[in-house]
Amino acid sequence: MTVMSKIEPPVLAVRDLSISYGPLQAVRGVSFSIAPGEAMGLIGESGSGKSSVAYAVMRYIKGQASGEVHVAGQDVMALSEQALGKLRGRTAAMVYQDPMSALNPAIKVGEQIAEAIRLHGRIGKALAWKRGVALLERVHLPRPAEIAHRYPHQLSGGQQQRVVIAMALACDPQLLIMDEPTTGLDVTTEAVILDLVNELRRETGVAVLFISHNMGVVAQVCDRVGVLYAGQLIEEGTTEQVLRQPRHPYTVALMRAMPAIDGPRRRLAAIPGRLPDLRSPPPGCIFTPRCAMATAECESRMPDLANSSGGGHRSRCHYRDEVALRLPPEPLVAEVQLVEARQERPRLQIIAVSKQFRARPALPFMRGPAPVRAVDDVTLDIPPGRTLAVVGESGSGKSTLARCVAGLIVPEDGAIRLENEVLDPLVQKRGRAAQQAVQFVFQNPDAALNPHWTVAEIVGRPMRLYGGQGEGKALRHRIIEQLEAVKLGERYLDLYPREMSGGEKQRVSIARAFAGRPRLVICDEPTSALDISVQAAILNELLALQRENGTSYLFISHDLGVVRHVAHEVAIMRHGRIVESGPPAAVFGDPREEYTRNLIAAIPTLERREAAPALLTA
Amino acid sequence: MQALGFILRRVLLLVVVLFAVSVLTFAIVNVLPGDVATAVLGDMATPDQVLAVRKTLGLDQPLAERYLRWLLGVLQGDFGRSLQHGQPIGPILMGRLGNSAILGLITLAIAAPLAVALGVMAALKPGGVLDRVIGGIAVGAYALPEYVIGLFGILAFSIWWPVLPGSSLMDPNENPLARPEALILPIGVLITGMLAFISQVTRASMIQVMGSAYIRTAVLKGVPRWRVVMKHAMPNLLPPTIAEIGMYFGYVIGGLVVVETLFSYAGLGQLVTNAVSYRDVPVIQAVVLIVAAAYGIGNLLADVAALLMNPRLRS
Repeated sequence: MTVMSKIEPPVLAVRDLSISYGPLQAVRGVSFSIAPGEAMGLIGESGSGKSSVAYAVMRYIKGQASGEVHVAGQDVMALSEQALGKLRGRTAAMVYQDPMSALNPAIKVGEQIAEAIRLHGRIGKALAWKRGVALLERVHLPRPAEIAHRYPHQLSGGQQQRVVIAMALACDPQLLIMDEPTTGLDVTTEAVILDLVNELRRETGVAVLFISHNMGVVAQVCDRVGVLYAGQLIEEGTTEQVLRQPRHPYTVALMRAMPAIDGPRRRLAAIPGRLPDLRSPPPGCIFTPRCAMATAECESRMPDLANSSGGGHRSRCHYRDEVALRLPPEPLVAEVQLVEARQERPRLQIIAVSKQFRARPALPFMRGPAPVRAVDDVTLDIPPGRTLAVVGESGSGKSTLARCVAGLIVPEDGAIRLENEVLDPLVQKRGRAAQQAVQFVFQNPDAALNPHWTVAEIVGRPMRLYGGQGEGKALRHRIIEQLEAVKLGERYLDLYPREMSGGEKQRVSIARAFAGRPRLVICDEPTSALDISVQAAILNELLALQRENGTSYLFISHDLGVVRHVAHEVAIMRHGRIVESGPPAAVFGDPREEYTRNLIAAIPTLERREAAPALLTA
Repeated sequence: MQALGFILRRVLLLVVVLFAVSVLTFAIVNVLPGDVATAVLGDMATPDQVLAVRKTLGLDQPLAERYLRWLLGVLQGDFGRSLQHGQPIGPILMGRLGNSAILGLITLAIAAPLAVALGVMAALKPGGVLDRVIGGIAVGAYALPEYVIGLFGILAFSIWWPVLPGSSLMDPNENPLARPEALILPIGVLITGMLAFISQVTRASMIQVMGSAYIRTAVLKGVPRWRVVMKHAMPNLLPPTIAEIGMYFGYVIGGLVVVETLFSYAGLGQLVTNAVSYRDVPVIQAVVLIVAAAYGIGNLLADVAALLMNPRLRS
């Protein structure tokens, strides 16, 4: 093992860890260790068991765990409750996804940090508070003495995450466990937080267990990477080894599914199939059903996590040294056929649209706070069969703009024009034909699908509403046709949303949007709630549907990599205004605006960035 | 600033509600069949007698005029005279209000903290023995109306095992605190009903709070369990729970009517029950207005308390 070569004992040693939730075997036989000062990343999609492993290190899991976890030499599984309380927060500390909910809304942030110091340090209240303020300064919060007196809701997302990090550092832990610490943050904020983590590592020598689904993020922070799939560690090695020369077909597939901002445009390769049933995992290699190079041996015998020919690079594949040879080559660029530009009148015109949000004044007769210009004089258009992507960080007004186009929000100013017709600002007042022409795919399919309706009802409803597609048998036939267009089949007809995976639900949303044969589909972050492998499939489906139907897309996203792959035209939005627009190759290749440059520079790629661009604010 | 605005808006709203309540009660009691004249004179009264009485009481005036006169009086603190007793309503009301307030406030003071404590204990181990015992008793107590619990209390503690008086029978001017033993059964009945409801509401919110990410943060920071509950969960549990107790205020008042009648306790509830059977319109109006005001103010106080305890709403 890697650790054996080092002299110091590991900070974290996990041996043969298995976790089950009832009949579900979420984690099986995971072993790895982290040396002092080392940062190890665990990559995995949802259901991989990566969070279960992270919380098992703190012995904070609901399920049944077996195996060994040693933190700084202490056997975590065998500790008394009291000893566990001393380990948590002092020897090992955690940083969480979604800092807003991880911080107590009713306690001042300074007190939340000071409490950790007092608990483990036996020092007075005043001194603990002072040290808390010093920690806030340590994580580069401006005016730390003042921020200490604030409540979490009075801070931005980036500031909240810095408070969580300060709290984790309160007792100089030897191990920092970070569970998706930047997921949900804006890309510029993410870059700043990652820089902070790197700086803290250099200066305090704290070891890090870094959980993430984003390979670019992991590449920024980690020395070594482990890849989890369906509860097993399937590959492990240095970051360079795993991300540059992956030795497991799953890792390769993940890399091919990841949309990147740089490099040539290529077809995103989705991983076919889905996770195996973890209630009865197959006897052979767990990736066999989805693997492009599986053989009979893979099906019958489970490979060990063994060293490949390169030193210290372990892979759980029988053909670990031949992966690159055996896998089919990456699909060629030519497969993404962009619909040729036709000089026609635009399908959709957004003409000088403005929308303000006004907060309610304290009293009816008083003046309220100044209104927020969510969308500020935006003019854009989309040709038939083309995609316009509006990109921006949270609060940029991109979703408000989408809602104005959909008629869900009425703008104060401007007009929305669909081909020859100026649309009424309110969707209820638009005619049936205009309603049919503009459809919507939302970010969260769970919230967008009626849980009490079957797939047949959900997809059939717009067909019946807009008519002309038959009744009874004919309608049923059309529904099946529509489902097949999004790679779902007849067997989904009578399923309810809760019986499907996230990706399947989003396919149903897309089938519903296309059921009425729309001319424009507004996609508001359609893949940001999905795993990378599923995201690739959904994006490919959207591209295929566009080719077949000549549909125009208004594509809202914060993810520049995704936009690079789907858009014909990109508009960068900030504070309600369009700062820059053009074809993606031009905007991303040679950005004119400083803001666009910063945005692009902040994207975590596989290349390790030295320090975040100076102008970033979080 | 936002908080001050909120409170002012709520106070204005309360005034509007009270006005609407007064109009509605006035309308309702005046369309009820029968009137005070026949009620006072009895079945043997001649139509002439009835007419004379109506005239002296001012009942021959148009409805709107009577309402306006009444409203002007109320704004000056004059609730008029009881038709039944012929005395000014103000002093009667004050004594009765005091008595009811004693009953209600003691109930709240005991039941609210106790219910919250029971709910929290039940929530710490959902499905545990303590949770099932508390939950079982709560469901039973909530399902039984006050008069059933009250009658059972009288049966148990003043007949089978006679340690408490089964009736408070007292003079309206007597201070109920002078005979505390007479208060035990009525307050006991009110507390039972309130404990049942509030403890289960608290339990539900507490389970939600304990499942939240910030509690996980506290646990993984190494905070001992009791401190997690008291310092991290409680500040988030109390605001919604207090607002909930405020909503429950109306139920306490409704319970008072039943309990006061059952135990012959000289409070507002008993007063209004009598007033209704005598068609004593001014008394009914006064009591309804007072009760509505008490309900509104109780609710407002609870919301303001919840507001002040929640840093997200405070600023």
